[in-house]
Amino acid sequence: MTLIGSNPRVAAAEQAPARAATRRRSPGQWRAAALFLLPALVLLVALRLLPTAEAVAQSFQRGTQSFTGGRFAGLENYTLLFTDPTFQNVLWVTAVFLVIIVPLQIACALFLAVLLVERFPGVGIVRTLVFIPVAAPAAVATVIWGVAYQPQGPINAVLAAVGLPEQPFLTSADQALLCIIVLLSWIGVGYWTLFLIAGLQDIPRELYEAAALDGAGWWRTLWSVTLPNLRRPLAFVVVANTVSSVLVFVPIQILTQGGPAGSTRLIMYDLYNSSFVLGDLNIGQTEVVILLVFLIAITAVQFRMLSKEK
Amino acid sequence: MRNHRTLAVLGIALSATLLLAACTSADGAADDGSVEITMIGADDAEVFAPLIEAFEEANPGITVDYQNVPFDQYNNVIQQRIGGKDAGVDVYLADAGAIGSLATRGFLTDLSEFQGQVKESSLAAAVEGNTFDGKLWALPMWTSLQYLYYNKTILDAAGIEHPSIDSAERTTWEELTENAKAAQASGAEWGLLFDQTDRYYQLQALPESLGGGSAATGDDLLTADVTNDGWVDAMTWYGALFEDGVAPRGVETDQMVQLFAAGKSAYFVGGPWSLVPILEADEKVDYGVAPNPMFDGGTPAMPTGSWNIAVSPATDAAEAAKAFAAFASLDPAGNALSAQEVIIPPTNVDSFAEYIEKMDGQDSPNTDGMGGLTLSELEEAAVNRPNTPGFTQLQDVLGRAFSDIRNGNDVEQTLQTAEDELQGLWDRL
Repeated sequence: MTLIGSNPRVAAAEQAPARAATRRRSPGQWRAAALFLLPALVLLVALRLLPTAEAVAQSFQRGTQSFTGGRFAGLENYTLLFTDPTFQNVLWVTAVFLVIIVPLQIACALFLAVLLVERFPGVGIVRTLVFIPVAAPAAVATVIWGVAYQPQGPINAVLAAVGLPEQPFLTSADQALLCIIVLLSWIGVGYWTLFLIAGLQDIPRELYEAAALDGAGWWRTLWSVTLPNLRRPLAFVVVANTVSSVLVFVPIQILTQGGPAGSTRLIMYDLYNSSFVLGDLNIGQTEVVILLVFLIAITAVQFRMLSKEK
Repeated sequence: MRNHRTLAVLGIALSATLLLAACTSADGAADDGSVEITMIGADDAEVFAPLIEAFEEANPGITVDYQNVPFDQYNNVIQQRIGGKDAGVDVYLADAGAIGSLATRGFLTDLSEFQGQVKESSLAAAVEGNTFDGKLWALPMWTSLQYLYYNKTILDAAGIEHPSIDSAERTTWEELTENAKAAQASGAEWGLLFDQTDRYYQLQALPESLGGGSAATGDDLLTADVTNDGWVDAMTWYGALFEDGVAPRGVETDQMVQLFAAGKSAYFVGGPWSLVPILEADEKVDYGVAPNPMFDGGTPAMPTGSWNIAVSPATDAAEAAKAFAAFASLDPAGNALSAQEVIIPPTNVDSFAEYIEKMDGQDSPNTDGMGGLTLSELEEAAVNRPNTPGFTQLQDVLGRAFSDIRNGNDVEQTLQTAEDELQGLWDRL
């Protein structure tokens, strides 16, 4: 015997009038919907779409002063940038930075999330300690770390006290980028951990109980139960972390200005420098377009990889 | 009913907006004829308070609002606000050396109408610095120079002779470095500090002393040259200062004067304004002043030039803005008031003479002879920044090169990279 409600064709026939009713909304409802959407649409166009269109247009111009007055220059800005050793170095430094900081922050955030989702004595204090840096404004955190990184600063004092050699930190082309990564991770890991803890708490406990009954160990449970079920929050964290890392600017502006020897010259700082220090808006806008294309490409790939069921 | 109320509120808001707009006319004047102009500069508001007060008293219809922008952000703000044709800025301070660059980008109002007056009222070198393509683009306000400050207590403890205050007997950078190391060996924390580490203003004098030039060559001053022997030797010496620990790495340039004022360095090269933190220190150091050093076998070279007062082309109160700029530059009293709260030479010849007379008494006996030293240094050793249209690029690229050399990068390679990058940017101009 087949229940009427369970017949897909019957169910579809029952839903049809409801869909038709949805389609036959009165003009008043449409107007109301449009009015509610209008502020968001205006802001979207004014703050997102128009600046993007302007950036694309000006990337093909030269001589733009204060957003007007440029003349068409074809691909000149793109050719100039991609053949410029300074910009090639900017792309290289940004790539190295991303390859290190994104996996590092995700791994640390995941480790902390798995640890902090457990109940153990003092977990509240540990969670607070992990999350506190999130509340510190980036500029304040940067200044504090800048003091710590000084060659005559507290970190070197500790190193010297325990008999280790003092380090140049931000004054060394070999260490400056790593110092920036440590600083940003100190701020960022707690933030990303929050999302992963929320994701972990959504995983049904029954799955862990079933895994335990099957005799799965900690690693096996992590690999076969936790990570697959954490895929969606993890996808968000990976994409958002990549985007925020590409847009890093404050620590570079405050601490290194891209140095020493261009070792921390990330693309956001470079495009800011081109636009607002050197006053070459066209080169700055060209970098914006390159950055935009890169971000769209990388987030699309990440979403695609992480949203697959298997 | 509700719709009517909404319309009424909108109507009132619109009327208020129109009323406010009507209160100011196209020339920036309100209905009562009063004008408010805005000035931006990189010094604290207290510095310009006496000047503004005197100007407002002499010009009852004009008020001046001063806005301070931190020095490190100053060029960026100029780029954004003046470049963005922001009518909210009427008058701003333009740095020496940047006049050609600012004029080329259309960031300055032509002030050639004052050319005759300014030649009579101001120091010739300062007028020249504000002239580009035969036109006057800003009015001179201050000039500057650098002194070698030394800590008498530290030198005495190390048995090192005090340097002479006579410009003809200036010490050499090489001798100074040796003495600085000797002072450190007898207990000084640091040997020699620069007031403006990594800034072109102060470091240009080093290669200039060795005949390396300003970095900007060619008829249009748009050919980069920082790889000649003068530049390489001067920068090698500069890098070694930090490599050998005579000066500290990783300390912000603004902190250098504080280190000297706290008695932690044997020598310090800084401007007349450096006297302020030295005098304000909790425990004042026993110091003396001497001429800016030169390299052995080189020529005397000392940084000079300072802020000039310019009128924004986007101003809607051009006449009031010009009147204020003229008061701060051409009027002896106004020019003197502009420098009253900060120890820096004004450029009006009368105000300058008065400033020189006062210098010896700034902190006698430590400043005895400082007036005469100021005069002789400005006459014999002053080197202006090049008035190149590419000054913005020059400052940015060389600032980074100086920083890299200070942090231990290879000098020749760094200068070659800087020259290539600078030439690339200049070619685009």
